[in-house]
Amino acid sequence: MQLEERTASIDIENVNHLFPGGVRAVSDATLRIHAGEFLSIVGPSGCGKTTLLNLIAGLIELRDGRISVAGGSPRAGRHEVAYMLARDCLYPWRTALENVMMAGEFRGVPKATRMKRAKELLGHVGLAEFEDHYPKALSHGMRQRVALARTFSLDSPVMLMDEPFGALDAQTKLQLEDVLLDLWNAEKRTVLFITHDLNEAVTMSDRVVVMSPRPGRIIADISIPLPRPRSVRALQKDPHYHEIYSNVWSRLEEGLNQEGRHAP
Amino acid sequence: MNPETRRNSPTVLILQIVSLVLFLLLWEWAAKTRAVDPLFIGQPSKIFAYLYQSVFVDQVLLKEAVWTLSETAAAFVLGSVAGIAFGLLFVLYEPIERFLDPPFSALNSLPRIALAPLFLLWFGLGPISKIALGFSLTFFIVLNNTVAGARSVDSDWIILARMLGAGKAKIFFKVTLISAVPTIFSGLRLGLIYALLGVIGGEIIASQYGLGQLLSLLANTFETNGVFAVLFFLAALGVTLSKLMSAIEAYLLRWR
Ligand SMILES: Nc1ncnc2c1ncn2[C@@H]1O[C@H](COP(=O)(O)OP(=O)(O)OP(=O)(O)O)[C@@H](O)[C@H]1O
Ligand SMILES: [Mg+2]
Repeated sequence: MQLEERTASIDIENVNHLFPGGVRAVSDATLRIHAGEFLSIVGPSGCGKTTLLNLIAGLIELRDGRISVAGGSPRAGRHEVAYMLARDCLYPWRTALENVMMAGEFRGVPKATRMKRAKELLGHVGLAEFEDHYPKALSHGMRQRVALARTFSLDSPVMLMDEPFGALDAQTKLQLEDVLLDLWNAEKRTVLFITHDLNEAVTMSDRVVVMSPRPGRIIADISIPLPRPRSVRALQKDPHYHEIYSNVWSRLEEGLNQEGRHAP
Repeated sequence: MNPETRRNSPTVLILQIVSLVLFLLLWEWAAKTRAVDPLFIGQPSKIFAYLYQSVFVDQVLLKEAVWTLSETAAAFVLGSVAGIAFGLLFVLYEPIERFLDPPFSALNSLPRIALAPLFLLWFGLGPISKIALGFSLTFFIVLNNTVAGARSVDSDWIILARMLGAGKAKIFFKVTLISAVPTIFSGLRLGLIYALLGVIGGEIIASQYGLGQLLSLLANTFETNGVFAVLFFLAALGVTLSKLMSAIEAYLLRWR
């Protein structure tokens, strides 16, 4: 897939979001995510990461600021945008294969095309033999693999992921991070990845953006100069990775300290 | 051990059969020695003789059962179709639900059997008054379950479908409706038993045909053995209908 800057980037300018009841969840966020870039946002719980993602997804109405995503304004159901959550959200009445095919079904992709693509992806995530299993017969990790396959089954140039591995144990998480990186390497997409695991953010991303505690402001924007393709599991033992990780960590602390001085 | 294997274990089955036989023997003895007046409790051997006679020989029970079952089927099908249709309408257009809520709540809290005299007046002694009574029971059960099922759809499923580009109609039919099927099904299962209840009740009150009519005829002529025979037959019928629903449910909901 050829990604073009105009149709695959995300542009966020001076975005604020105030929930009814007066909770300020996002404060003056400005951020550009380039086409084909893997960008992670980290930040403490409740700082407004999901809110920002949902504003981009068009699930929350944007009231203050400007967002352009894949060359248009945010709207739920746009074909250019794929979306994945921490919960697998598989439909229990559909088999693994039918779940992966569902995305294309909603978008009117012909059945034969969808089926071929879905089988291919299930093979990619290592579940070829589990095509006909219902979600109840799959483990958490397997279900999230199916969800990954479903997310990739669409040709959307932009992917929004809200802590997709947040509910998994450490071991499964490492495995799935590699699965995601493999899929992403095979077909570059623009990925906005939300996590509160700094390790995950550094190993996967081209850039890591740090948000402050609520009201979420962007307090650091750090490039990760690790070569691609990467293996998450191999990186765990790589001294260069650890160097970068501690560097990011100190930048994060710096940001948080400055934040502390700014606070009333 | 899970409950399924426990229920089916041979020891339990043998114990159940043995105690049933003991119970029948005790019953037979009590009736025979007139320890308890058989006018009230009948006598097992005569009950089974009546059952045999009326099922295999003159087939009275079967002929009446055909009436009862066809009325039940009509009440169940009409009640379920209407219940599901109104339920979906309520979920799709909430104002309709709010508009119809007062009369529906009032009807639903009314002991439905109290409508029997009115139905007899309107529809006569024939099958229609029985079907109406069964319908009035099944309809509300299925309606309430349909609404509850469709309302309790997981909001993440809806969000995901929206993000995948599904329109309102697709979300309704492919997510909301299917996710409600298990709840609708437990409504149908209950609705079927209640349709039978309504029909039998109607037949007991006034009818020319049916198991209910036979039951009240036998009781009025002090044919206690016949009454018990009909009751046994009805119990077997109820269990069969329930099992049938369970089998259909197990197949349709094999993903659970
Ligand atoms: N629908 C809502 N109505 C009102 N307030 C909300 C709503 N959703 C979120 N908030 C508030 O906005 C703030 C940010 O929430 P958000 O879900 O964006 O946090 P988050 O960074 O994703 O947290 P986590 O890491 O725990 O997922 C929270 O303090 C929350 O209380
Ligand atoms: Mg969140």
